[in-house]
Order: sequence, then structure tokens, then C-alpha cells
Amino acid sequence: MKLNRLFKQHSIKGLAAALLCASALPVSAAQEYLLTVTRPGHLHVIDMKTNEVERSCDIPGKFGSGAITVSPDGKTAFVLSNIWEDVYGFDIRSCQIVFHAAQSSASERVKSFQSLTVSRDGTELYTVQNPTRLLSDRYEILEPRLAVYRIADGLGAQPVRTFPVDRRITKIAATDTGEVILGGGDVKAINTQTGDVRMVAALQNWDRGPLWLPPDAFAMHSQGEQANEYIMPYVTARFSDEEWDFETAEWWWGLSRVDLSTGEAELIEAIPFEFIVFNFITDPRDSNILYGSFNTLSKHDISTQETLIVKEMPHTYYNLNISGDGSTIYVGGTSSDISIHDSETLEKIGAIHLSGDMTTSDLRVATIRE
Amino acid sequence: MALINNKTKKALSGSGVLLLAGLASLPLAAQEGHQLLRNNCGVCHAESGSADNPVFSRISEQRKSPEGWLMTINRMVHLRDVEISADDKRNLVRYLADTQGLAPDEAAPFRYLLEQDTNLIETGVDAELVETCARCHSGARFALQRRTEQEWQYLVDFHMGQFPTTELHALSRDRAWYEIARNQTASTLALQYALDTPEWSQWQSEPKADVTGRWRVVGFVPGKGEFDAVMLAERADDGRYDLSITGRYADGSELSGDGKATLYTGYEWRASLTLDGVRMRQVMALDEQGLSGRMFLAAEREIGGSIQAIQDQGEAAVLALLPSFVRKGEHAEVEVIGHNLQADSLSLGAGVVIEQILSQGPDSIRVRVSATGDEGIYPVQLGDVAQSAGLAVYEQVARVDVLPQDAVARIGGGGMMAKVRTAYRVVGYSAGPDGIPGTEDDLRLGYMPASWQILPADEEAEHDQDHIYAGEIDANGIFTPGIDGPNPERRMSANNVGRLTVVATVTDGEEVVEGSGNLLVSVPDFVRRVLD
Repeated sequence: MKLNRLFKQHSIKGLAAALLCASALPVSAAQEYLLTVTRPGHLHVIDMKTNEVERSCDIPGKFGSGAITVSPDGKTAFVLSNIWEDVYGFDIRSCQIVFHAAQSSASERVKSFQSLTVSRDGTELYTVQNPTRLLSDRYEILEPRLAVYRIADGLGAQPVRTFPVDRRITKIAATDTGEVILGGGDVKAINTQTGDVRMVAALQNWDRGPLWLPPDAFAMHSQGEQANEYIMPYVTARFSDEEWDFETAEWWWGLSRVDLSTGEAELIEAIPFEFIVFNFITDPRDSNILYGSFNTLSKHDISTQETLIVKEMPHTYYNLNISGDGSTIYVGGTSSDISIHDSETLEKIGAIHLSGDMTTSDLRVATIRE
Repeated sequence: MALINNKTKKALSGSGVLLLAGLASLPLAAQEGHQLLRNNCGVCHAESGSADNPVFSRISEQRKSPEGWLMTINRMVHLRDVEISADDKRNLVRYLADTQGLAPDEAAPFRYLLEQDTNLIETGVDAELVETCARCHSGARFALQRRTEQEWQYLVDFHMGQFPTTELHALSRDRAWYEIARNQTASTLALQYALDTPEWSQWQSEPKADVTGRWRVVGFVPGKGEFDAVMLAERADDGRYDLSITGRYADGSELSGDGKATLYTGYEWRASLTLDGVRMRQVMALDEQGLSGRMFLAAEREIGGSIQAIQDQGEAAVLALLPSFVRKGEHAEVEVIGHNLQADSLSLGAGVVIEQILSQGPDSIRVRVSATGDEGIYPVQLGDVAQSAGLAVYEQVARVDVLPQDAVARIGGGGMMAKVRTAYRVVGYSAGPDGIPGTEDDLRLGYMPASWQILPADEEAEHDQDHIYAGEIDANGIFTPGIDGPNPERRMSANNVGRLTVVATVTDGEEVVEGSGNLLVSVPDFVRRVLD
């Protein structure tokens, strides 16, 4: 998976370096930046070597949800602002705004629920738009659509293509196969040229029989860039019989993980539901090892269905991400501090204090390889 | 319906003072109402129909409570930048509630919401409507509205447009929520809560009573206790009523105040008054018995109590007995509250001997009674006319119910939001004929004095010391929650939230009876709604 991605993304020169250290330190030559948004509207660019805030960019408009997506070269971060309506692209090396799409117009209000991703060649930005027509005495609810923007159009960009999609789509991710993964009631993929939609992993419409509780999936935050995957956790239960007794049912965390190289998904119930986890990430070195955060930071081995470590946290952290070498976990969201942990032991090894609360914001990693 | 009753018939025959609508409760002239709608709403709401019977888009396809219309106009001000004068707003609410309101029978099952008494768990709401609507709102919120099917669909669209993440909530994101809500739920709502109903047609055609005059009132104010009072209502030039109220609490202290009342839809009494310097609100419904409902602090709707009133119609009438119970074989002082009372016509039946008349006046008779009869309710008799109020004779208090049984208090006071307190009372019961407390034949005795304490709801709450941090309850049964904001003393710096059991102890002779209620001390609610 990782090699495949490196082949596609790097020049011949980069490829040689990547091949040399592929198993141990896949991106050791690269500079990683941790990105997050705080209220009232700042994009923070954090150097993951020093764990210092290198710069903070002012985001125009009212706070959105803090959704962030990063261009494949790691240089541009796209942020959803203005209460989920506008997308701003920042050069994270200078805070310069290089892209702006105002999705709403006078007669149509458009909201995107976290749905923001960049094509793997870095040329197109995708959003899922939820439009509402504003009539004089009522709203008309219009069909959602995938909107395709040319990033080169810069400020004032307008969609160059749109395709109808399902309702209730939240986070999305582009694949090497020219599709965008759409996380909604089910996980689907849309071809960004033709608009053809295929089922990737049925959730709401899964066919497990009456003893399985239909999964409840939430996809508030985007992550997975370090494992080159789209990860959507869900909760389900297997009942012992058709009495459907919630008390005696087996409760599971399930994962729908899509390999962004191939667009193929696995759907597994692998972690017993013992406590609430808001987000999971996969260790880039071992796809069986997952970390989760909420009121706890936890480490899980899905090959053995074991919870390896659970660490009580001093407050709630919605979100987490990981360094490219898999050694360091960054736990953030909710409040104004990012807690840094050793991935082996989950011991806290540092903290980053920000100027405001992250609340629902994403915690993304931008990797600049030069 | 309600108001065509014996009293009304007497009034019609000339013996009473009850006037008919048209004279007293005249709604704003239709022309004036139409013009208010044109002036304030016409820019966006298209007018059709005839000049005499205009139809305004969206508006004409709905009926709702006065609070419902007030919410709608508030929403237009806050969300749609409507500028409307205070007079126009008041007149519009009244015109719409009068002409597009709810019949008494339509509002009756959901009065708790109008009365702002939200510390209860609703039952009996259709499962489909719970999943679609009542997972965020009270069931009463939509049950107090009547709309065409298209209007219910537009209401679904409003939710999607105004609160776009509605379809992403739990119980939405796992199904095609918008399609279900718009195509199925709107139909269900249109069937259950249709715009045109026989109840409303009938209510519109019925004569409406006048509330002008003298009212005898009993009620309860948390922290102060039960009171009885006389309230005078005089019609003001603006169509409202000027109120004055004087009375006293059970401990003998006096109360007085004045204010304004409006009678919406011919029966919905809403009053704002200042009682001994404290702003209060009354929400009552008028029926053949009189007015009944709830009075609460204007600034704290959770702090309130029941209130009843009967109008002086020239005849002797009893409103209440204070207290309403006496133990079998014992003596007690009881006050009979009413109008035009005469002590020599008063009796309490064969089981309750009036031993002595302690004081008497037209509004109140104080008597010393001896409960000689068996357990049961002994209705007050004035001459040979039985009154609805009665005295309960009981052998033993077998059960006490803590009210509210389930409540939510909210931490506050540290930031933007005030604390939300809870006011408790206890109702005592005897076991009834079967001797088993908690069964249907239990005899309701009435509100009783109690002592109060809070306990952690369970082991986890005890471990987190919720009973230490979440707040305290005073001798009057008023629970005051803790301050909001992270508390570094607590696990995960939790706010002073908690899950508590509120325990009331009632002493009945040698016996002690306990009852309990569930109290959730939660985080501040930053959205202040007219109706939850």
C-alpha cells in the first residue's frame, strides 16, 4: 500500500530514497506539519519535529467546523469556513490564501458537512454540497451534489462539474483510482469524471440478518492520511436471539476502511465496545494496530480483537493523528491543548497549547517532501 | 362544549354576571387583523383569496397556541429581520390565536408545555414521531399545532434549511431521514394534527365567557408556600385585563400584586404580574369550573406551582380546603376557601363533624373538625349543593410522591447562563381499600410538608461525589445546582453535573414515610425557547 502510493507520488529521485527506507522510515526525509483550526478562526501550522506552532493563519468568515484537507504535496491546506459554506486554501508555508470558493449564492445556500478532499494529482478540489433554495416564505431542499473545483482557478473558483449524490454525506476522500469515497448512510465511491456511483461498503443497507443491529456510523472528522486510508468507525451489536435484548447483545466497534490506492474496502467488527471512542486511526506501520480517542486514549490489535492499552485522559479529546513513522500520537480536538503520546506505551511525552478551542476541528498531517 | 353549562345558562337567564363574548372578549376586528398581517407579513407571505377573507401563504394553513404564534413572530424577527412594533406583535399574536388557535380539547392533553412545566417524561407519543420529532422537541411542541399536510412538509423543509445537520443526528444518519420525514411523517402529522377539525369548528361557534370580575384564588409559590387570594380583573382599553391580587400565605404573611392578563382564543389565560416585587406569570385555561393552571417566576419558569381560581357569580361556591386532609380520629383546623360563603350552610358529611366555627366571612370559613368517619373523601356541602372540593380522611400516609418525579436542573451562574433550579413538592396518599400503597385505589390526600435531602443516584454517582458537587436542596424543597465551568477537583475536570436521588421525608404521627425522585443536574441549555 505504502510503496504503491510512493511510486505514484514521487519522482524517480524520490522513489530511490523511498525504496531504501520503505519498511522502517517511509517518510523520514519529509517535513511533517500538524494542522488544526481553533476558534474564532485560526489555522495552526505545527512543526512536528519541534512540536511548536510555526505559524497561525487567519481564516476569513465565521468558524465552520474546522474541517481541513491537504493537497498531496502538503503545501496547501483547504479549510471549510463561514459556517460550512466557504472553502479557503492556504499556502501553509506563508498563510497566503491561494484558493477561495464561496459555495452559496443569493438564492441558494450551500452547506458542506466536512466533505472536502483534493484529487490525488492535486489539481481538483471536491466538496459535497447540500443546497437549499431560499424562497420568500419557505425553503426548498435540493438534491446534494459532488462539486468539482479546479484548484488553479484560485480565488472566486466556481464548480467545473457537479454530479448528484446521496444525502447525509460527511467526510470524503479521493483515491488513486479517480474516485471520491463518500461516507454517508453507506460508504460509496463516485467517479469524478462520469458521476457513476458504486457501493464500497454497505452499512445502512447491509445484509447481516435480523441478529445484527444496523450500524450507526459517525464521520465527523477526517484522518487516515498516514495510513493512506479512509476510515469510518461504526457501532453495531450482535443479538443472541430474536428477543433483541440489548443487555445480552455483543457490542462491537466496526470499521469500514478504504484503501485509497485501490478504492477497496474492508468491513470488520474488531474492537469490543467497552467505552466510547470518537475517532480511530491506523498505525502506518501495522494495519492491525489502531488508536482511538475520546475520554481515553486507547490502543487496539484488531488481529486478536484485544484492547492493548487504555489511558484515562484529563479531558475529552475528539480527535487524534499520528506521525508518519508511527512513533508519536497527537490527541486533540475539543479544547485548546494537543496531548502528545508515545505510541508504544501511550505515555504522555508533551503538549502543544493553542490560542483557542479546537472544538470539532480536524487534526491533519501535511507532509512536504523536499 | 365547556362553556355551555349550567352556569352559563343561568347567566343567560339573567341571574348571573357572566357576559357573553362579543360584548367582552371581542377579538380584534377581522379587518384590523388582516391589515396587521398585510403590513407585517405581506412582503414575504403572498396574499390570495378575497379582500374579506384573505389567505396568506403559509400563515393561513396553520393553527397553534398563543405561544406558538409568538415563537413564529420571534423567529421572523430573529431570523428574517422583520421589524415589528411591540403593539403590532401583541395584537398579531392575539388575532392569530383567536382566529387560528386550538380548541380547549385540542390543547388539554399538552397543557404542561404551555404551563412551562417541563420536568416530566412524556408518554404515549407515537414511536414514529418520537424518532422523527420528539428526539429533539417535546411531543407537545408539535401536538400543539395543526397544519395541512403541505404545511407539515414545509415544516420539515424548514428544519432542513434552518438546521441543516438535522439529518446527521443519531436516529437520522442511519436512515433516509429527510425522505421519511417529508413523505411519511408529514402525512402522519396531517392525520393526527389536521388543520380542520370538528373540535375547532365547534369551539369557534361557541359563546365565550368574560373573565371580568372577582376571582377567588388558591396557589403555591415555591419557598413561600400555599396561598389564597382575591384577584380582580378589569377590562382595559387595549383589550387586556388589569389585575390586582391580595391574599396571604399559609404562614399568615400577606401577598399583593398587580399586572395584566390576556384571554386568548376565548379560554387561554396568560397573565404577567408583579407579586410582592417579584415578576410572575400565570398560564391557565378557563372552563366551566373556572381557571386552572400554573404560576411561575417570570425569570425562572421551573420555579412555580399550581393555581386555581373561581369567578364570583353571585352564588356560594367552594374553591378549596386548606389543608385537604385530616387523619381519622383526629381533630384539625380547616379553612374553606370560596365565594359568598355562609357558615350555617356548611357541612362535610356524616364522617366529619364541624366542632367549632373559628371565623367566618364570605371568602373564608375556618372550622375545627373531628374526623369520625372511615377513610374517604368527604365533599363540602353548601346547603344541599355538593362542591367538587372535599376533605380526605385517612388512616395512615402510606406513600408519598415526589413531584416532579423526574427533573433536570442545570448548572450555571459562572458564565453566560443562570442556574436552573428545581422546586419540589410532595403529595401524600393512603393505601386505599386494598391496603397496598402504589395501586390505583390509593387515596390522594394532598400536598404535605416534608424534609428534603439529596443522595447520589447510584454507585458511579457516589464515586464521582455528585451529591457533593452538583448542588444542594433547601428546607423548602428547592434544589439549587452548582456553578458551571470545569471543576479541577473532579475527575476529568468535569463540570458540577451529576445524577441525584431527591428524597422527601414526611412525618405522619409516629410514622415516617419516604419518597424519592430522579434529578439530573445537567449542563446549561444555551437555547431559550418559548416552548421546549
